[in-house]
Amino acid sequence: MANRLWVLVKGELNRLNKYNMTSVSVLVALIWGVILFFLDAELLNLLLPLVLMMDATMMAIMYVGSVMFFEKSESTISTMLVTPVSNSELLLSKLIANTFHNMFASALIIIVFVIFKDVQLNYLLIALAIFIATAFHTTAGIILAYFQKDFTGMLVNIMIFMFILAIPSFLFTFGVISGDAWEIVLLFNPVQAAQEIISGGFTGYEHGFKYYFSLGYLSIGGILGYIFYALPKFQDYAVKQSGV
Amino acid sequence: MFKVSDLHYSYPKGKADVINGISFEIDKGEIFGFLGPSGAGKSTTQKILIKILGDYRGHITYNGKNITEYNDEFYEEIGVSFEMPIHFSKMTAMENIEFFLKLYKNNANIEELMKRVGLWEDKDKMVGEYSKGMKIRLNIVRAMLNNPKMLFMDEPTNGLDPMNAMILKDMIREFRANGGTVFITSHIMADIDQLCDRVAFIVEGEIIEMDTPRNLKIKYGKRSMFLEYKENGKTIGVEFPLDGIGQNKEFLNLLQTKEVETLHSGETTLEDIFIQVTGVGLKNGQ
Repeated sequence: MANRLWVLVKGELNRLNKYNMTSVSVLVALIWGVILFFLDAELLNLLLPLVLMMDATMMAIMYVGSVMFFEKSESTISTMLVTPVSNSELLLSKLIANTFHNMFASALIIIVFVIFKDVQLNYLLIALAIFIATAFHTTAGIILAYFQKDFTGMLVNIMIFMFILAIPSFLFTFGVISGDAWEIVLLFNPVQAAQEIISGGFTGYEHGFKYYFSLGYLSIGGILGYIFYALPKFQDYAVKQSGV
Repeated sequence: MFKVSDLHYSYPKGKADVINGISFEIDKGEIFGFLGPSGAGKSTTQKILIKILGDYRGHITYNGKNITEYNDEFYEEIGVSFEMPIHFSKMTAMENIEFFLKLYKNNANIEELMKRVGLWEDKDKMVGEYSKGMKIRLNIVRAMLNNPKMLFMDEPTNGLDPMNAMILKDMIREFRANGGTVFITSHIMADIDQLCDRVAFIVEGEIIEMDTPRNLKIKYGKRSMFLEYKENGKTIGVEFPLDGIGQNKEFLNLLQTKEVETLHSGETTLEDIFIQVTGVGLKNGQ
């Protein structure tokens, strides 16, 4: 099984490259790099975790949504269903490949700022944070893809995600909304949780309750979402794509 | 090889069964045709047999074992050719095939297969640049790349030119000659007639006829001979009952004395049988 999973992961990564997802993610990383490069240190310290958070959340949802849209438009899921590969291998390979693919773009941004701006990081914590945030949102992207009928549907999903989850998180970060009530409500916002744990990878961050709650929330929530929703519903989704 | 008993299926949101208690067997080394109008239940039945659809009622065995008891070994033994192209368009044909090859324990000789369907020269082309016919031919390679024991083919010659359709039919016959078993759904009756050992007609989820093409032609054909001859510059046609034709003096006399233009038995075509069997008239017992 391990060998087959590896073949599937390599296949997914290869297709991400062939379908230009890798080029797009490198380009996005470069754009962010250029924008952030010209900011002063104070603004950079505020925006860099935000950019990494956006990469690990919205972009993760968008990339996996696009991959599943391409699969749908080419009916390739039909032929995958009649191979010896199990549904759990198929889905896990998507999760692993998309997570590591997205982490690659984040790594590019980080490397640039470590080299040129002397950003201080705990590499282990930042890698762990990006991994957990990306894996959670890739799972969310897979679940959203089950409901997307076409490319427009995917964009609508992203917009809904932005309005409900990402914008409140931005507003809170910039102090537009504040207060204890918002702080508690936003604890349950996965985007805010992602930002919290990513910020935890930067030197100077104090690891308190919010950090550990967010870490646990994204880790356990991601695993439960995968086991109890994404995986059981995958067969229905795949069968629908095969024309039933 | 496959035994289907009292199969029922309804879609999760559907109230009525789309498959209504069908039963049939597919013998090892047989080419079995599954025919019916659109929406009759052909593809649904195939999807149940290849384990894409579950939650059916009834019993299906493959080599004597319930298909629900099989895991990945089931897919090591079967190959499925879908009607629509099912390839990654931004990868070359070979990249597609090599990816799928790695998922199976048994691997066929790909060069041989690709040469056979005339795609070897274009193996490094992006599938997106392929014509529809080429994509269909690549589907066949995809279906056979694991040296399957059983092939499921959905409209296999649809979209192929006559030459490539002939090559494909030869490949199917060779597959059977080497011990393989084939389940075909198609609406191209000439292909079914040329290939299948037995056929089943399905209408509204029920099998209403199942036999060899020959027996069906005898059953639904007219037992008569139709003779056309020329007399005084005119063509005259006469029909004779087939029974006792060798003793029919009028028939023998015409053969001996007239300039015969055509002579046909009343044998029908599979296409006529399809229309007759799947038509409302027969279903209503008319």
